[in-house]
Amino acid sequence: MSSEIFNKLIRLDEAVRRFTHDGQQIATNGLPVGAEPVAFARELIRQNRKNLHVVSTCASSALNLLCGAGAVSKMEGGFSGLEVFGFSNGIRRAVESGNAVWEDYSNLAMPLRFLAGALNLPFFPARICIGSDIERRALGDNTGTPKIPRVRDPFSGNELGALSPLSPELAVIYVPFADAAGNAIILGSEWCSVELSRSAKKLIIVAEHIVSADCIRQYPNLVRIPAEIVDAVTWAPLGAWPNGSAGLYDADDTHVFEMNAALKTEAGTQAYLEKYVYPVANANALRECIGRERIARLVCTPSAFLADPYRKWILPENEIERLIENSALTQKNI
Amino acid sequence: MAIATGRELRDGELAIFGVGLSMLAGYFARENHAPSLRSFTEGGVFGATPVGGLPWGIECTRISSNATAFTGAIDALGCLVASGRCDVGIVGAAQVDKFGNVNTTGIWGEKLPKNTFPPPKTRLNGSGGANDIACGCKRFVIMAAHERKRFVERVDYISSPGFLDGKGARERYGFIGGGPSAIVTTLGILRPNPETCEFEISGWFSFSSPEEIRKYTGWVIRLGAEAALIPDPSPRELAILRKIDITGALRKS
Repeated sequence: MSSEIFNKLIRLDEAVRRFTHDGQQIATNGLPVGAEPVAFARELIRQNRKNLHVVSTCASSALNLLCGAGAVSKMEGGFSGLEVFGFSNGIRRAVESGNAVWEDYSNLAMPLRFLAGALNLPFFPARICIGSDIERRALGDNTGTPKIPRVRDPFSGNELGALSPLSPELAVIYVPFADAAGNAIILGSEWCSVELSRSAKKLIIVAEHIVSADCIRQYPNLVRIPAEIVDAVTWAPLGAWPNGSAGLYDADDTHVFEMNAALKTEAGTQAYLEKYVYPVANANALRECIGRERIARLVCTPSAFLADPYRKWILPENEIERLIENSALTQKNI
Repeated sequence: MAIATGRELRDGELAIFGVGLSMLAGYFARENHAPSLRSFTEGGVFGATPVGGLPWGIECTRISSNATAFTGAIDALGCLVASGRCDVGIVGAAQVDKFGNVNTTGIWGEKLPKNTFPPPKTRLNGSGGANDIACGCKRFVIMAAHERKRFVERVDYISSPGFLDGKGARERYGFIGGGPSAIVTTLGILRPNPETCEFEISGWFSFSSPEEIRKYTGWVIRLGAEAALIPDPSPRELAILRKIDITGALRKS
């Protein structure tokens, strides 16, 4: 069965080279310090992408790092913090200095905007965000088309706020399990991944584990992103690190603090990038960099049982390498 | 503060908890006096009781380890909160004003001219799900450390709407939720005057007083009609709070 699927596996660096460019509008999934494609952000920095426009329901370590590294000029989102870990220093520094701008929405407004994009609707009517400064304060000014204009409900005559739709040029979604075609299973909160995946013009799945197609056929109800809308799949072991990934590993608390402290200054950021980003160009280097002992501690998570039903289908590294060699994307070089 | 907030939650209600003190207050309430309080997080995590201490984030594995359902933002913040179905939410505040408007977005330190959006002096976190909770929940409770820089006449930026500019404003915007019912602070509890929607002193802790609250409040705050001393935490309440916050990371007053 496995041989029949449309194999879109591609190396992470190759995915960044082919699918991203300076000035691009990119969306990522994830809750603060939760499962999100931090590995993809590190590769964007290694390839020196600049002037990115990141749209994300919640910022987290990936955007914090990208901002600290000066790769971002504009953001739209609902939340920019790291929960109990504090404010995101990379984002703070970028926004307070004016090097990047942040357009505020709420944590519901962003997924509704993705949903409007996914449904190809002109707007999404809502009773949130209106009346507050989220409605009134907009980048540039609010004097032309307002950020959240009013619309009249044709049934009751009441007024609602119209949220603008989002169809990002590229969405990058981290998942714990996907097959080589991109059928993806999510553990933990789905947050905004489902509507985000449908809203994007291009979609890259960043998978912690590549599983065989048999796994997908065993649990089709749990596949929240079908391969048919996926453009490329990349394999990224510890791809959410230093964040956690439900069922797979806990967040690396010490490192989240260390990274965020480094991002407070330009010098700290530079030192951090030279130690943890520039030389850490593949999965093996990342494992070395984090350290065996620490990885063993992180994967010993109380949520590990969540991943148990899928473990027997996880493909070994040599099989993944073989799939990358034989991938439709590699062969056609599209 | 966590105990005083917990006392605001009633048995049988549907509540949305954030991370940190809000969750501590919520789980305290369930253990103490509201065994059938139903709760979820904005990430759409249902049925979970944190293991090994309170979680540091909505997606922390401490709350993903014994959940009964994982959904997402549109379900939790949309179908259950913005719809008007959720009874009560708890939000934090960097600044809060006399009408219970909450700022968690940024500090500008000046009144911004209309339709402008210069970079803030201090970027905070943004609204997160608090705007959705403030618009949709039947009522919400605000928690904030009682300092003069936080309790201001008018917040720099309204991230989450309280009563905006006073009575009738929420109705004007058609918000489905009822607005803030209390501000629980490190010194006492403030509640809105039913006629003006301006927050007044409702109670003070034994280590505080109405004078102390006035001293740290940036608007001329009135004493509510039924203002009184708030009972100290009982030994049972304290024991329950300690049990929930095993690591002690979040225990404040």
